[in-house]
Amino acid sequence: MAETAARKPHFQQITVMTLMTAFQLICAACVLCRQEELSLTMVYIFFGYIAAEWIYMLIGALVTGNDYFELEAIAFFLSGIGLTVCASFSESYAIKQLIAIGLGLAVYLIMLLLIKDVHFASILRYPAAVGSVGVLALNLVLAQNINGTLNWIDLGFFSIQPSELVKVAFILVGAVTLEKLLSSVSLTKYIIFSLGCVGALFLMKDFGTALIFFFTFILIAFMRSGDIRTIALICTVALMGAALIIYFKPYVANRFAAYRHVWDFIDTTGYQQTRVLIYSASGGLFGLGIGEGYLRDVYAASTDLVFGLICEEMGLIIGLAVLLSFAAIAFFAIRSAKTSASTFYAIAAVSAAGMLLFQLSLNIFGITDLLPLTGVTLPFVSRGGSSMLCSWGLLAYIRAAGAPFEPPKPDIAVKKVQKAAPPKVKTKGGAAS
Amino acid sequence: MRITARRAAIIYALILAFLAGVGIFVVSLVLNGSEWASHKANRHIYAGGTIVNAGTIYDINGVELAKSSDNERIFAQSEALRKSVLHVVGDTAGYISTGTHYLYRDVLSGYSKIEGIYNLKQSGTGTDITLNIDSEANKIAYKALGDYNGAVAVYNYKTGQLLCSVSKPTYDIKNKPDDLLTNEKYSGVFLDKVISGIYTPGSIMKIVTAACAIENIPDIYSRTFECDGEYETGDGTVICNDVHGEENFEQAMNNSCNCAFAEISIELGAAKLKATAEAMGFNSQLYAKEIRLTKSRFSPSTESKSELGWAGIGQSTTLVNPSHFLAIMGAIANGGNGYAPDRIRSTGTVSQIVGRMPETIITIKPETAAKLNELLRSNVKNEYGDWKFENLQMCGKTGTAQIDNAKSHSWFVGYSQREDLPLAVVCIAEHAGHGSGVASSVSNKVMQYFLKEFTE
Repeated sequence: MAETAARKPHFQQITVMTLMTAFQLICAACVLCRQEELSLTMVYIFFGYIAAEWIYMLIGALVTGNDYFELEAIAFFLSGIGLTVCASFSESYAIKQLIAIGLGLAVYLIMLLLIKDVHFASILRYPAAVGSVGVLALNLVLAQNINGTLNWIDLGFFSIQPSELVKVAFILVGAVTLEKLLSSVSLTKYIIFSLGCVGALFLMKDFGTALIFFFTFILIAFMRSGDIRTIALICTVALMGAALIIYFKPYVANRFAAYRHVWDFIDTTGYQQTRVLIYSASGGLFGLGIGEGYLRDVYAASTDLVFGLICEEMGLIIGLAVLLSFAAIAFFAIRSAKTSASTFYAIAAVSAAGMLLFQLSLNIFGITDLLPLTGVTLPFVSRGGSSMLCSWGLLAYIRAAGAPFEPPKPDIAVKKVQKAAPPKVKTKGGAAS
Repeated sequence: MRITARRAAIIYALILAFLAGVGIFVVSLVLNGSEWASHKANRHIYAGGTIVNAGTIYDINGVELAKSSDNERIFAQSEALRKSVLHVVGDTAGYISTGTHYLYRDVLSGYSKIEGIYNLKQSGTGTDITLNIDSEANKIAYKALGDYNGAVAVYNYKTGQLLCSVSKPTYDIKNKPDDLLTNEKYSGVFLDKVISGIYTPGSIMKIVTAACAIENIPDIYSRTFECDGEYETGDGTVICNDVHGEENFEQAMNNSCNCAFAEISIELGAAKLKATAEAMGFNSQLYAKEIRLTKSRFSPSTESKSELGWAGIGQSTTLVNPSHFLAIMGAIANGGNGYAPDRIRSTGTVSQIVGRMPETIITIKPETAAKLNELLRSNVKNEYGDWKFENLQMCGKTGTAQIDNAKSHSWFVGYSQREDLPLAVVCIAEHAGHGSGVASSVSNKVMQYFLKEFTE
């Protein structure tokens, strides 16, 4: 290991892990010290989490024989902050969040296994597509029954947000379809699938998630075609569609009436945004202390508004660290895409990173009134199982493309594709590009 | 494959856009942070819309006018004191928008770009503010006004420090009356009349007319005027307070003769009068440091001679703001340089050491100021009597502002010439009759207090 480190500069796993553990211990201390009676469960939660990180890293290093774990380290950092926030609310939040992180990690590993083989991944796209549409349709029916605009299915023990799980499938379907069979038939199928997903979300009035799907669709389409004009055309059509919706259904626009005027709607539709601004400013660079804030009393403080809560209680520096972590994930995705063994991985990695970054933008700029508030979660950090599973699932696509500092892999997929169906690629591919 | 890798660079654009958004957020946080953090909805500072945790407000002698303790705002001990400083200290809910509580809420919150409101959170109190106001003087002025509503302000014309500022009606913030919003006697109670009031000036406006005459009529001092109690303008009549007979310019000023000043105003014409008034700050937005004053208005009629005459003696549509006129008196007393009345002595440690610089808001030509100074001194010496302002070497002008269907407002504006008492005073007592009555007496009482304070 020392040899590789000496040969080229790369990620110092042990150093990063040590620093992160120190940070998480401080977080744990802050939460634990505020408790009137020291709860052992809470101690187990924090130490269990830190231990799990180390075990994962050590076993990973033993199994794979390397330590390309920068993505996981970032995800652990972010999840740790989310866990701290949950723990500062209540023990039950913390337990649920810890389980969510565990499940997320499991999803991550399973995903890595599933898409290890491009051909297997391409077979998976049918169940993924059918399952996605099915689950959204079911959701639509159930949500209507509950008279809500909410994108939730309540299973009694816990409720899940199906659209979060569909996000993971959406990228798989998109990346596989466009990588493997570049025929207009498969493209049409994919467009219909995307329209179905976006449409269902629109009907659920979950505009934020609909927008995320639409953006990801554009991203995948661009990755495959590289044609800016087509993309511009799609966007124009979408904008016109949006304009039509606002024209015929003015209440949709009303939902965003407070945008850029939140201070005029301070106790109504601008309530959350103004509170985020007020309390973020109150926190300064170093925060008021975990549990010391008032944003936590505002609705959705631990989910949608968690960035504001972090700024208030942990300070702007940690808030920015969270944001830069995502920029780093996206940056790694580009590097991974360049070294990946197949176009599938490159497309999947790029779209997953784009999706994460786009959702993050909708979240933090929405709650700070730089964009309209759409009510999407902050990946990895927001409280909630579905969001956590989705975040780790998306991360798997980026990791599957390769570690950012890993040497390039041999270009297997392209050779195979050329061998398997050379005429198809030449004719259609040539026409497309 | 390679093409796809190249297209992955689209993510760079996305990262850049994202970082730009983060940049915008951080910049607006830096720019607006103090405003956001000190917002009424911030429960670290406010509870139920009123300030509970904030810095202490002291008067110039270190008397605590408002402080926070155990999530509660505590005010001065005596009721008279609380009532007399209500408008400078301000209420905790921000109804008095010119009060220190509201106007300096960002300072009081202790907000800093680095630490946010961490200090407030830790200590329950933010940055302290020391006022220039002497609360004892406020109490004296408040009591001197008696049952009259109005405003009294005193400031140091050499430094700009506002030492006394009282506005009535007022109320006791500790025992807020239930009928505050309904009872007629509290109408305008949230207005600090020193800052936001505007009144018909009456004869104090003759100072401005005199300034215009000094600058525009070369032989004004050798003129004589004839007053038989009325002055016919051709299209109307200006009525005088008395029959003054033959008088020169100085005597006309002493007598506050409407006939003479109406004649002078008409001779000068609307344009010149307006120019002088505007040079003295009329019709423009003035600031007493961070505090916005209500505009004084002067627009003499260009059509009607009688209206022009009335405007020149402070009636017609003319309206003045007490703080503005205080600064005019300051300019005359200070050789032409009128500082803005500054209520704040220091906000936090840095300004305690550095101090606040005086800011000129009114400039008068030094020669004009000197001549006005002589006229105003002559008023007291020859007309009102130095016995009314014992040991003060007072200069000044009374005013009786006539109001439709009501008793006149009583005005006094003036200043002391004493080297050891560089103070100017303005007093308006609403519906209190002649300026030589209530307003002069209130002004004297407050000035006598300061004389003792400054010379002992």
